[in-house]
Amino acid sequence: MVFDEVFDVIVIGGGHAGCEAASAAARLGANTALVTINLDLIGQMSCNPAIGGIGKGHLVREIDALGGIMGRVIDRTGVQFRLLNRSRGPAVRAPRAQADRTLYRLEMRRTLEATPNLSLRQGVVSNLIVEDNRAVGIELQDTRRIGAKSIVIATGTFLNGRIHTGRRTYSGGRTGEPASIEFAEALKTLGLKVGRLKTGTPPRLDGRTIDWNAFERQPPDEQPVPFSFSTEAITQEQLDCHIGFTNERVHEAVKRNLHESPLYSGQITSIGPRYCPSIEDKVVKFPEKNRHQLFLEPEGYSTNEVYLNGFSTSLPAQLQQELVCLISGFEEAQIIRPGYAIEYDFVDPKELTPFLETNLVRGLFLAGQINGTTGYEEAACQGLIAGINAALSATGRPLFRLDRKEAYIGVLIDDLISNGVDEPYRMFTSRSEYRLLLRHDNADSRLGPRGRELGLVGDLEWERFNRRRTRLAGIRSILDHTRVGPRDSNYEYVRMLIGQDFADSLSLAQLALRPNITPHHIKDLLVKTNHNVELSDLESSLADKLYSGYLHTQENTNRRLNQHDSLKIPAGFTFRGVRSLSHEMIERLERAQPRTFGQARKLPGLTPAALSNLLMHLAAGQQPTA
Amino acid sequence: MVDFNDTIVALATPPGRSGIGVIRLSGTASLRALQRLVGCEDFDPRPNVLVLRNLIDPLTGVTLDQAFVCYFKAPHSFTGEDVVELQCHGSPVLLRAIIDATLALGARMATAGEFSLRAVANGRMKLSEAEAIRDLIDAQTDAAARQATRQMNGAISHALQPLKDQLLGIIVRLESSLEFVEDDLPQLEQQQLLDQVRLIHARFEEMAATFKRGRLLRDGLRVTLVGRPNAGKSSLFNMLLGRSRAIVHEVAGTTRDAITESLGVDGVPILITDTAGLRASVDPVEVIGVDRTRREAADSDLVIVVIDGSQPLADEDQKALLEAAVHSHVVALNKSDLDTFSAARIDDEAAALVKTSAIVSVSAKTGAGLESLRSALLQPFANGTVNSEGLMITNARHHDLLLRAIEAIASSESLLQQNASEELTLVGLHDALRYLGQISGETTSEQLLGEIFSTFCIGK
Repeated sequence: MVFDEVFDVIVIGGGHAGCEAASAAARLGANTALVTINLDLIGQMSCNPAIGGIGKGHLVREIDALGGIMGRVIDRTGVQFRLLNRSRGPAVRAPRAQADRTLYRLEMRRTLEATPNLSLRQGVVSNLIVEDNRAVGIELQDTRRIGAKSIVIATGTFLNGRIHTGRRTYSGGRTGEPASIEFAEALKTLGLKVGRLKTGTPPRLDGRTIDWNAFERQPPDEQPVPFSFSTEAITQEQLDCHIGFTNERVHEAVKRNLHESPLYSGQITSIGPRYCPSIEDKVVKFPEKNRHQLFLEPEGYSTNEVYLNGFSTSLPAQLQQELVCLISGFEEAQIIRPGYAIEYDFVDPKELTPFLETNLVRGLFLAGQINGTTGYEEAACQGLIAGINAALSATGRPLFRLDRKEAYIGVLIDDLISNGVDEPYRMFTSRSEYRLLLRHDNADSRLGPRGRELGLVGDLEWERFNRRRTRLAGIRSILDHTRVGPRDSNYEYVRMLIGQDFADSLSLAQLALRPNITPHHIKDLLVKTNHNVELSDLESSLADKLYSGYLHTQENTNRRLNQHDSLKIPAGFTFRGVRSLSHEMIERLERAQPRTFGQARKLPGLTPAALSNLLMHLAAGQQPTA
Repeated sequence: MVDFNDTIVALATPPGRSGIGVIRLSGTASLRALQRLVGCEDFDPRPNVLVLRNLIDPLTGVTLDQAFVCYFKAPHSFTGEDVVELQCHGSPVLLRAIIDATLALGARMATAGEFSLRAVANGRMKLSEAEAIRDLIDAQTDAAARQATRQMNGAISHALQPLKDQLLGIIVRLESSLEFVEDDLPQLEQQQLLDQVRLIHARFEEMAATFKRGRLLRDGLRVTLVGRPNAGKSSLFNMLLGRSRAIVHEVAGTTRDAITESLGVDGVPILITDTAGLRASVDPVEVIGVDRTRREAADSDLVIVVIDGSQPLADEDQKALLEAAVHSHVVALNKSDLDTFSAARIDDEAAALVKTSAIVSVSAKTGAGLESLRSALLQPFANGTVNSEGLMITNARHHDLLLRAIEAIASSESLLQQNASEELTLVGLHDALRYLGQISGETTSEQLLGEIFSTFCIGK
């Protein structure tokens, strides 16, 4: 086989998954090529110009802790940072930021171009070259052939992408960009199980034609909380968002024209995300609501374009214009780009290993929307894992995976490969049974060491991580050992805080757990006792204490209900030897490679009898003579 | 390492039919439980020696039974852990009471095959031996599970499902408010939620109370008589009771209400209910009665289908059989005193169709077959499996799960009251749902998300 160029790793696609994959693989020492249809659109956000949110924000912090790049890129290009759920507990708080779409793209490209071992190549991939069941290279439309030891496919919505606006449908990967058709067919021919999903996007408006006074301001946080653990502070100018509403006239008009909507007319049959419903969906499913919320999001510093969040649609463009003008504040508004729906191919993620490698072909990794997820963050974390493993595979090292208990990334991948997808998968904190454990602010303590082990966390970051770890340990100690008793100077203050006298001295740790005591109170007391701490560090330490009791209870419940969940399944365990396991079940177990009994237990379809027998085998395996 | 940190208890013999019932405990708390049961904290039994002792309810001090007790010291026991065996009298009610006592002392109902699992894990049994036992259990477990489920589902799921749904609704509300903070959701009605949680808590406590040990001693096994009008239900009812209670008339459809009486069989208290005939009726009073029949049957532990054996099998008889088939049932082929009676009224085919285990020929008039019928009442609970749970013991497991669910809900209730952040309140609610899920089906994360998105318009 003659190749025009040879690399260790090829990443196909320059979206959020592709960028993480390429960056990680290169930094792990693999000679990497990122091949994409249009180099100018590397890191392009297809839809909402924003990163983060509840669940998603958690993913970004985990990506950063592990050594990925999304967190840094958004920190440098974010135009409105908000920490969500400030009034709620630490485990459900999450950072979110609007981005300048153009700057994000440029910063992502700049980051990649500054990465050693990474080469960019523009081209349309038309085929995969497979030898002996191993991926060995790709073919481009312009006949170039590039060889590699491992390949990551991160093609987003481009595979057989079809765009729908009203009754018109045409081929496209994104508006203005061609779909990837030959490659889509090649993957099917390879034998991968392919399905169709859809997603949609709202119209963009000309900001000069909007009556801004009609909308409620949503300002950025005073103290923006960065995504990356290596960002000292957000220094760039921050912008406002605005909030608006649809009204009954709009709803009526949508209802009258449902037959023009490709989804309702039956033109599109594939499933879209419930979590991102179109305005047609909203009006039909919630007829009792007389208004739906809209968010006006700025696209960037140097553009008038405004993203109309909450108005995803595939109604005809002219109709979109009419509908928009019915909204209060948009009477004169002009649509710059209409919304549309897009249908695309995806590969059943049950075909993947926990390392995101396909069962069918070795050395072939899939990441992102192609696996049935929706969202930049969901894509990026998969890209990171796939890129890591592509590099490890290319250099003959053992592959890397994260557990459900370690990270939301682990939850996501485990859900995908165990359950597959019926609709585009988006992260929510409720998907994890370990929500209290997986906070956004402790991502570094959970994953920093793993990233360092891999070699993705550099010396600077590692030092920063260690300093933070030391600081937090110090604070925990101070909280435990600083006490306030009836004879202390701070007695009055504390008495006022808790509303009653107390005879036995209280440690700050104990005080912090009382109702209505906030971290600010504790910080005040620390200042009064001559300790100076950063509020964010204090909050992290307090969060650990806050949740420790509940985590303990949860562990007990788990143990009671599922006593053997943490029982390890040894590597190389033969599921075939376990009785009453159907052929399908054995396959599923071999594919999912559960490392613990708990993981096995959650695989759909395993009967209690089968699990019971598996447990028996594991128990017998402990004995030298069974 | 397979780790066993709790003590399990199970019935090792089939209940009811034999004179002896053996209860077995395995685990670190076995010896202590034994000491409490015999009412002597210093009780220091010699291993492998049977001694006669009174078993006492540790909570009330009431003597439950006189039994042979035996202590097997780890590792020289069936499971390799400390094992205690209690050889008690075979009355299911008594056995239930003793098991309840061990649960109160910290043991947990074993799940099917758990003893063998521990035996294998501790090297006391070979995998192949355990698998042989397993095969036996697996075949029986389905049947036993079906039987147990059917029996229990009538009473429990009926009462449980609406509460589970409400609980899920509260979880949905709280999850929505924390996952979708930016969305235009209706203001979280804190007080309303608190009221709902309190209500659910109270209802669960009520339910738990009905499981209490006292119930079976007081109320006994529930048996329902069904069958078409004039098959002789009321006569049979009276015969079993040994006196005349129900109104017996020639006119079809006489018994309009369900009449319940109690009697004892082999020391087992039985609550027997006579119902209106399962017949489509236009009489409003009768229609109500017929509906109640179905519900009574669903709530019963056993159904007696009374069929007039002196006449050919009527459609209504077939229907009665089919409806009873989903329950544990016994067929009483009545009127054996008449010339036209034939034991072959229910042929093998029909019996196989509805998996009838026992067909007893009786005559309510003469009393023939009375003893056989009485014995047949206890038969379905003697299904001869190793470690079979049986109805009343399944009950104990469910009770245990319900109590834990209550504990979890109580903690969430107090957090809700303190206005704690949602993710804390949700811990107890999710735990409660998981415990309940062990009784009547787990709720997955996908189902939860489905509920959220069909209830609230979310998504930007």
